[in-house]
Amino acid sequence: MLTKASYTLADGTPLSDLVRVPTREVQMRALSDPEIYQLEMDRVFGKTWLLLGHESEVPNSGDFVVRDMGSDSVIVARAKDGNIHVSLNVCPHRGMRISTVDAGNTQIHKCIYHGWAFKPSGEFIGAPVEKECMHGKMMPKEDLGLPQARVTLYGGIIFATWDLEGPSFEEFLGDAKWYFDTLFERSDKGLEVLGPPQRFIVRANWKAAGEQSAADGYHTLTLHRWLGEVGNYSKSGEGGSADLSPEMYGVEVSSPHGHALRCIDLGRKIRKLTGLDPAELTVDQKLEALPPPGMTHEMLPQLRKRLSEEQLEVMVSMPPQVGGIFPNVLFAFVYIPQADGSVLGLTLLHAYVPKGPDQLEFVNWVLAEKDAPQELKDKMLMQSIQLFGTSGMVEQDDSDTWPHMTLAAKGARGRRSTLKYQAVYETGAPAGWPGPGIVNEGFTKDDTQWHWWLYWNELMNAKA
Amino acid sequence: MSAAQQVAENAPVIGNPIPVGAEVYNRIVGFLYQEATLLDTIRLKEWGATLAPDLVYTVPLRQTRPMSQQAQSVIRTVQHYHDNYRSIMGRIMRLTETRSAWAEDPPSRTRRMVSNVQVFATDRPDEFAVVSYLLLTRSRFDFPDMDLISGERNDLLRVDGEGFKLVRREVILDQAVLGTPNLAIFL
Repeated sequence: MLTKASYTLADGTPLSDLVRVPTREVQMRALSDPEIYQLEMDRVFGKTWLLLGHESEVPNSGDFVVRDMGSDSVIVARAKDGNIHVSLNVCPHRGMRISTVDAGNTQIHKCIYHGWAFKPSGEFIGAPVEKECMHGKMMPKEDLGLPQARVTLYGGIIFATWDLEGPSFEEFLGDAKWYFDTLFERSDKGLEVLGPPQRFIVRANWKAAGEQSAADGYHTLTLHRWLGEVGNYSKSGEGGSADLSPEMYGVEVSSPHGHALRCIDLGRKIRKLTGLDPAELTVDQKLEALPPPGMTHEMLPQLRKRLSEEQLEVMVSMPPQVGGIFPNVLFAFVYIPQADGSVLGLTLLHAYVPKGPDQLEFVNWVLAEKDAPQELKDKMLMQSIQLFGTSGMVEQDDSDTWPHMTLAAKGARGRRSTLKYQAVYETGAPAGWPGPGIVNEGFTKDDTQWHWWLYWNELMNAKA
Repeated sequence: MSAAQQVAENAPVIGNPIPVGAEVYNRIVGFLYQEATLLDTIRLKEWGATLAPDLVYTVPLRQTRPMSQQAQSVIRTVQHYHDNYRSIMGRIMRLTETRSAWAEDPPSRTRRMVSNVQVFATDRPDEFAVVSYLLLTRSRFDFPDMDLISGERNDLLRVDGEGFKLVRREVILDQAVLGTPNLAIFL
């Protein structure tokens, strides 16, 4: 059970003062203070489920990738029994990093310092010069394995946590799972990665990116304004030139655990593709007109098998297109207008890995349905690279923004400024909305991001 | 030639090296210098005019791998750039014809140092394979940090009148985790 415990920062400020609940403000020092960052590594990244990759990155026994859980490096490996293990990448002998590469295949992870060796499962195999008992006489071998994180696979996505006794991943997703299942659990074979993730450093606090992931639709209007100025969005006739505001309407879902989904109205796209009023079309007709991102017509029966009628209704009218999984994951399941009038769906995941109070590593996985034809995967991959991640024409503007927020949060005056989440929904769910969770319709508002901060606040001020 | 041979579709067969100082070598070095000037002075439409319509422009990912697995240190599935003529022209259009390409507005101050140029003949008389090193410095805003981007370019140039057109460029970067917040600039 989590209970409130008061913690006072070095300058005398109570930690619980950073998030001002009555006025929906957050003190900006949260984006730069090294003391807060250190607390986050235990209280947030030591407690929640964290995205590490996708099982298709390690298909065979012995395959491994090296990833980060907060400030700790971990080895994500498939063991002989087929299970994926997440082991702390630190030799229990003298603290050397065990794997110094990004990926590979081995049944023996051997520390290059003194040669202690471990299985992909993290179990200790032995130390050189067995007859001298160089692993010592104080501890049995079974106690010298690598610390194991708790692992779960969700739609093949690898999540892990150091909180061995905490909520299950399903409990962590809570009501949001109903929506996430429409993205990650909708097909028989599921998603796969199209390659290793892009990785690059942004000199920004991880929360600048993390809070934006909690369904900040509003920034699209100005930061991504170019979408309305040139290219296929501006020509698609959905908003008229340079006006992206019609794209700002929809339904936003948030969660007491800080997850968020922006469900954007598909009506205009369906109308354009079919020439018909979407209200007159059945669920199946709408699915045929515009299959979910990355799915083909042939795959549509799988949806019917795996999802409820209510979930399908949301998928064809207001599907979740962007949002986040707390604390540092963004998903994008987006419908991109093409020059020929068609629509191409893209499926991506990002993790914003903290690398110090003013640095994050942007990790971008490009995904596709395993069952999709190669030609579709190739198109999705190319367009994903052109719009998202390192050189992506959309996200290059985001990664150039977060460093300014982080720098501003270092100023003696700036650190006392606040982030404001005062654009409040007072709408509730649309009539007949079939899904659970905290649901509000209309123009994109601040509620989902505010709920993100409330959960951050809860974790930061909790003591197990 | 290193990586370029493995990647290009419809790539010509790489032939003999052309000696440093040969007439065509000098013209190619001149092309690379002029190209660096166009990009550093943000004359992007002029740079676009030096691209061939069948351009393939890619920047693979890098992974840290053991000595014995160096071939796998270059990743050509997901990449940092994976573009053709049409998409590069789209990027130029965003940067030059909108008022909201914030990643480069205000623009970075860049310097493309191009060196170690090697030119190879191919089995096509009008196409040359060119390897060069690139060291790109990038300064943004009043940030004291200078982003460094280093790598090897593997280009294919096609004779076009008195000059050349860029047909193929693959840039093999040196960092597995890039130290710059985006690639809103061309390499």
